[in-house]
Amino acid sequence: MQRTFVAKNEEIGKSWNRDWYLVNAEGKRLGRLASEIAMILQGKRKPIYTPHVDTGDYVVVINAAKIDLSGNKWDQKLYRRHSGYIGGLKEIPYRRLIEKRPTFPVREAVRRMLPKTTLGRRMLRKLKVYAGPEHPHTAQRPEEIAL
Amino acid sequence: MPRVRGGSKRKESRKKIMALAKGFKGKRGTSHRIAKQAVMKALRNSYIDRRRRKRDFRRLWITRISAAAKLNGMSYSKFIGGLERQEVGLNRKILAEIAVHDAETFAVLVGTAKEGVAEE
Repeated sequence: MQRTFVAKNEEIGKSWNRDWYLVNAEGKRLGRLASEIAMILQGKRKPIYTPHVDTGDYVVVINAAKIDLSGNKWDQKLYRRHSGYIGGLKEIPYRRLIEKRPTFPVREAVRRMLPKTTLGRRMLRKLKVYAGPEHPHTAQRPEEIAL
Repeated sequence: MPRVRGGSKRKESRKKIMALAKGFKGKRGTSHRIAKQAVMKALRNSYIDRRRRKRDFRRLWITRISAAAKLNGMSYSKFIGGLERQEVGLNRKILAEIAVHDAETFAVLVGTAKEGVAEE
């Protein structure tokens, strides 16, 4: 019987067997960009995709601070967190958050699209986000892609 | 009629259960009372998952074919639709294996599918 191909962690799991991609986030819509990035990190754009193995590639995002939102989300999109104490709900609108932590929205949007598992958290580590146009990964020679 | 005592039969049935529970965690593998429940649940799950396996693999093949088709500039649904029209009788399992091991052949299949779509 022809058995279905299964990617092995020893071959694909090594970082030198992975590709690097460079994404310029300037003027892109946050959610649409994040879903494409999540697909690359999971390896779902490759035919060797195997659910229990991380077959994804690295993604370097530059100009994360210049990402765009549709509608009134600059003021209406709220990032919420709760400390666990009574009245401990903190809300911060996008406009203020992007000033304080310019790389957070991209990272967070991608994180929420990845599986909430150990493997999912490992996939997220392959995502590198930078607020400005520079990144320290020139040695990996990331290939620029338009999403 | 003489009275029948059940000890030996009971021992047999326990041994059967304990053999199936071998390797289970903690009391689930050592105590008969807990092991019995664990074995019942394990057998039920394996029955369900033998059926699930067929669906799980089909999903995986579709994901892989979709990725390979997109590399050749075609969506999964268009690709399968085009092959259907051309009466290519390959199933998803074989298509997925071709996508992994033989990108050139897969590109040919995408070409065939594109012709199929164009015919409409």
